[in-house]
Amino acid sequence: MKDDLLFNLDHGYAEGLCRGFKSGILKAADYHNLVQCETLEDLRLHLQSTDYGNFLANEASPLTVNVIDDRLREKTVQEFQHLRNVSYEPLSTFLDYITYAYMIDNIILLITGTLHQRAIGDLLPRCHPLGSFEQLGAITVADTPAQLYTAVLVDTPLAPYFIDCISEHDLDELNVEIIRSTLYKAYLEDFYNFCKKLGGITAEVMCEILAFEADRRAFMITINSFDTGLTQDERAKLYPTCGHLHPDGLQELRRTDNYDAVRDVASRYPQYKILFEGSGTNSGDKTIEDKFFEHEVKLNMNAFLRQFHFGIFYAYLKLKEQENRNIIWIAECIAQKHRARIDNYIPIF
Amino acid sequence: MTLCQLFLQPDAAYSCISELGELGIVQFRDLNPNVNSFQRKYVNEVRRCEEMERKLRFLETEIKKDELPIYDPEDNPDAPKPREMIDLEATFEKLDHELKEINTNADALLRNFNELTELKHNLTMTQGFFDDAEMAFTPAHNRNQRDSDDDQVQLLYEYSMISHNKLGFITGVVPRERMVAFERMLWRVCRGNVFLRQAEIPELIEDPVSGEKLHKTVFVVFFQGEQLKNRVQKICEGFRANIYPCPENPHERRELAMGVMTRLEDLTVVLSQTQDHRQRVLAATSRNLRTWQIKVKKIKAIYHTMNMFNNDVARKCLIAECWAPVSELDRIQLALRKGSEASGGGTVSSVLNRMVTREQPPTHHKLNKFTQGFQNLVDAYGVATYREINPMPFVLITFPFLFAVMFGDAGHGILVTIFALWMVLKERSLKDKWRNQEVWTIFFGGRYIILLMGIFSIYTGIIYNDVFSKSLNIFGSSWRVRFGDDTLAKHDSVMLEPTPYNYTRSGDYRQMFSGTPYPIGLDPVWQLADNKITYTNSVKMKFAIIIGITQMGFGLFLSLWNHLHFNHRHAIYLEFLPQIIFLACIFFYLIILIFYKWTSFDGSKATDAPSLLIHLINMILFSYKTDPPSAAVFYTGQKQFQTFLILLAVLCVPWMLLGKPIYRIVMNKRRANRGVVLDADVRDTDTEDMLDDEHSHQQHHQHEVEMSEVWVEQGIHTIEYFLGCISHTASYLRLWALSLAHAQLSEVLWHMILHLGLSMNGYGGAIASFFVFMPWSSLTVFILLLMEGLSAFLHALRLHWVEFQSKFYKGEGYPFVPFSFRLLLDEAPVEA
Repeated sequence: MKDDLLFNLDHGYAEGLCRGFKSGILKAADYHNLVQCETLEDLRLHLQSTDYGNFLANEASPLTVNVIDDRLREKTVQEFQHLRNVSYEPLSTFLDYITYAYMIDNIILLITGTLHQRAIGDLLPRCHPLGSFEQLGAITVADTPAQLYTAVLVDTPLAPYFIDCISEHDLDELNVEIIRSTLYKAYLEDFYNFCKKLGGITAEVMCEILAFEADRRAFMITINSFDTGLTQDERAKLYPTCGHLHPDGLQELRRTDNYDAVRDVASRYPQYKILFEGSGTNSGDKTIEDKFFEHEVKLNMNAFLRQFHFGIFYAYLKLKEQENRNIIWIAECIAQKHRARIDNYIPIF
Repeated sequence: MTLCQLFLQPDAAYSCISELGELGIVQFRDLNPNVNSFQRKYVNEVRRCEEMERKLRFLETEIKKDELPIYDPEDNPDAPKPREMIDLEATFEKLDHELKEINTNADALLRNFNELTELKHNLTMTQGFFDDAEMAFTPAHNRNQRDSDDDQVQLLYEYSMISHNKLGFITGVVPRERMVAFERMLWRVCRGNVFLRQAEIPELIEDPVSGEKLHKTVFVVFFQGEQLKNRVQKICEGFRANIYPCPENPHERRELAMGVMTRLEDLTVVLSQTQDHRQRVLAATSRNLRTWQIKVKKIKAIYHTMNMFNNDVARKCLIAECWAPVSELDRIQLALRKGSEASGGGTVSSVLNRMVTREQPPTHHKLNKFTQGFQNLVDAYGVATYREINPMPFVLITFPFLFAVMFGDAGHGILVTIFALWMVLKERSLKDKWRNQEVWTIFFGGRYIILLMGIFSIYTGIIYNDVFSKSLNIFGSSWRVRFGDDTLAKHDSVMLEPTPYNYTRSGDYRQMFSGTPYPIGLDPVWQLADNKITYTNSVKMKFAIIIGITQMGFGLFLSLWNHLHFNHRHAIYLEFLPQIIFLACIFFYLIILIFYKWTSFDGSKATDAPSLLIHLINMILFSYKTDPPSAAVFYTGQKQFQTFLILLAVLCVPWMLLGKPIYRIVMNKRRANRGVVLDADVRDTDTEDMLDDEHSHQQHHQHEVEMSEVWVEQGIHTIEYFLGCISHTASYLRLWALSLAHAQLSEVLWHMILHLGLSMNGYGGAIASFFVFMPWSSLTVFILLLMEGLSAFLHALRLHWVEFQSKFYKGEGYPFVPFSFRLLLDEAPVEA
């Protein structure tokens, strides 16, 4: 109650901004129009009439999907960074937590890139700007996880997450994925606890979203690890333990070895049962990933129904990312003249 | 205002629209609201315009970057012909291309230049560093002067000499803010096995990649072995440090430095030439840039408009619908003819066709710069319903007047007037100044309002005889103090009597009032009176009531005008009459009493004068007491007359409440009867009539549904009016309240501040006056002029919106927005 009273004192402006940004998210009618576009020029013309304004106006004429992607990302990052700049403790820490996920992605991207002998100069621009930090470029120095830790990550906020990975011996493709998952697991759990500690509505909203995120990772890790030589115990170590599946579901997931078994596990949880039932592997059906995305969008939308909490910032960023993915999907479909699947975007409103 | 249909030849359409755009008296309607913006006919042309705008923006930013002036064109260029559009496009394309080429060249050169500069610094710094090391090594050098750093250097040097195992080194340049992290990383990765020396470059250096000016630091890293070298190199890469080769041999270093210097000189020459070329191109561009921008904007606007037209394929013409003022139709015809001629295809001229429509047309007022501000005040409440009386001409005078009643001080009025006069007289030069300052644009937009407010304030100030809270005694007071010295010495205050007064009880009556009042405004003698406030309160309150009721009554008569115009006979009998009778019975009567009291009670009868407030209350309560003489009846037949008035006023309530709904019911019945007859007649006519019939049925149906709403609405309307009359009258008392507050505030300011200085004697008083004048004058401006002025403005605005306009003004229209190039260009000024 006290938090609610004083919330606007520190975070009212940021929340107002965020809700304002949120109302700029494209509506169903906009998507309906976007889908009808014949060329990317049409797309640009239509986006002009939305909240995007003339963010593409200064681009030279043959527009490519890449340019659109860059501009979209730039805009999102700009908005997020503006929020970060006007934020105040503990909101600023909360927002920082959000960026850690991007840091993890960037690190993994760079390591895999170097594994494939790509020049660091090509890789750096592809990193997500929200997750960049000073030492990022020097990641290539490291040959082993231990080195990675002592040289690069020890100063970053990711350092505590990395402790578990130091034992890995060298950086090959499988290990990189394991590192990613371990980092993510540690990150999610830490973020979850942080939100718990914040308490109030923030905890209610964010824990719901993060629990889903954790469960999704557990499902995806399981599904993707079939036939990869990852043992069950190793796999179990990667499951984030802050979800609804913990502990029984995770135990069972550990023992599964095919897709149907996973589905059986999910069917014991009503919210996931629906998702797995609605998905399929046939060409017309939606994949389970899309289903997860849809569910995530729903959770994020729900975050906006409540007041005086930080969840909306997280939700806003995630929704914006989903929107960017949608626009890019539509743009790709237009560019490649592959209109049959253009409707496979994930509607937000 | 009439709805017109235009049939335009596709070839002639462009030039016709361009002519109409120059005229700016036609509002086009969107005929394809369901079509997406990118599916319209002229979307390609619009897109080409956008492309051109993009190029122009690019050129503009380039010109801005070089800080060249951009010339504003004197004349207004016509919209170019469609053919010219291609030329324009080509010109822009060429310029764009040329500039981009210059830029890429310049960028490459600049990058080269910056790299060389960095290398130069790098070399000089490292040179110094190596020199240090050698100096340190020479035994001749005094060892005591060396610090620990030099010790290390020397050790290194010695080590390399002794072991004959050459130390490798890398030199480079890194941004200063990354230096710390870089150093730490080096230490960690190489486990302390490297030696780093750094030196700051004293000047700002443009980063070769991003082109920003940065502080940079030169560093030298010493290490041993290939593996370390790899790592150091990787770290350098990661930190985006620019690595430069540095020969180990001092001689080679010197040679390299020399080479760099000469190359730098060459580059400077080339760079300045490129820069000159660029300047020339940009200067040529900047002369035409604005003209081009306007042209492109016009083309774009024309195609936008043409996108709203219907395309009739069969008849090969474009059909446009537009609202246009009837009085301007001739000019529109002329413009169309001109447009058709200009396009050359004059075989079939464009046709303008007036249409009949039931839709409500937009509201268009003919305004000039003087009336514009006042119209804005009215429109802020709501745009007049089409053909409704526009309150603006009345507001024009009453608004500044009501403001001035509250802001009555001639001194303040003069200041306001001077400020407004300055804005009005310097209008031209001030117009484009401070365009982005919101507060300024508000003041400037309302300069004529402020001017009138100032002038009226001077007038009311003279009436109140208030100049900075002091009275002026211009004509000489009408009062004389004829007391003897002993009387004056005995009392703190004495009373001046308007009637001849026997103050010594000797039968010797003295005249203190000359008999003729002060020619204009308040007698200055009141300045000295203790009961000044009591007196001015009474006068100002009565003024407020008189002004308020007169204005409300005037509003009612305006509503009569509206009813007559719209031919609402029933509204005159069922709304206007009860309203005006109610107002007259109670409030006009009150005004008459006020004047009666003023004229027929003089000083001798002052104690018996009726208290009007008590009388009004008693009148409504039907109680007639005789006890205090001020409550007793003061003319014969007062009781009967007042009872009659009250009964009449009460009668008005049901009259207004029931009249209109009953009228509606009767009318509906009559229409229903007629409808039945029609129905029987029209049973077997063609389908179109059937459709019409259905339509009317629907309307009919709607009427019946609305009946309950009519009751509720009329109920609310009635309550609002009758209660409103009372509360609005009370609301006009704010005229008195604010005027009192203003007068008191300025008096307080005078007494508390300026009075301090003025009341001192001798030279000290002069100095003190000098010092207190500053706070007094600034407080006068900020509190009395700005704050009080704003508050009086808002109250005057409220009195007009709520009390005055609620009597007649609906404000349910929508504004007429003509398609006009001038508006378009004014609205979005070419981004400065």
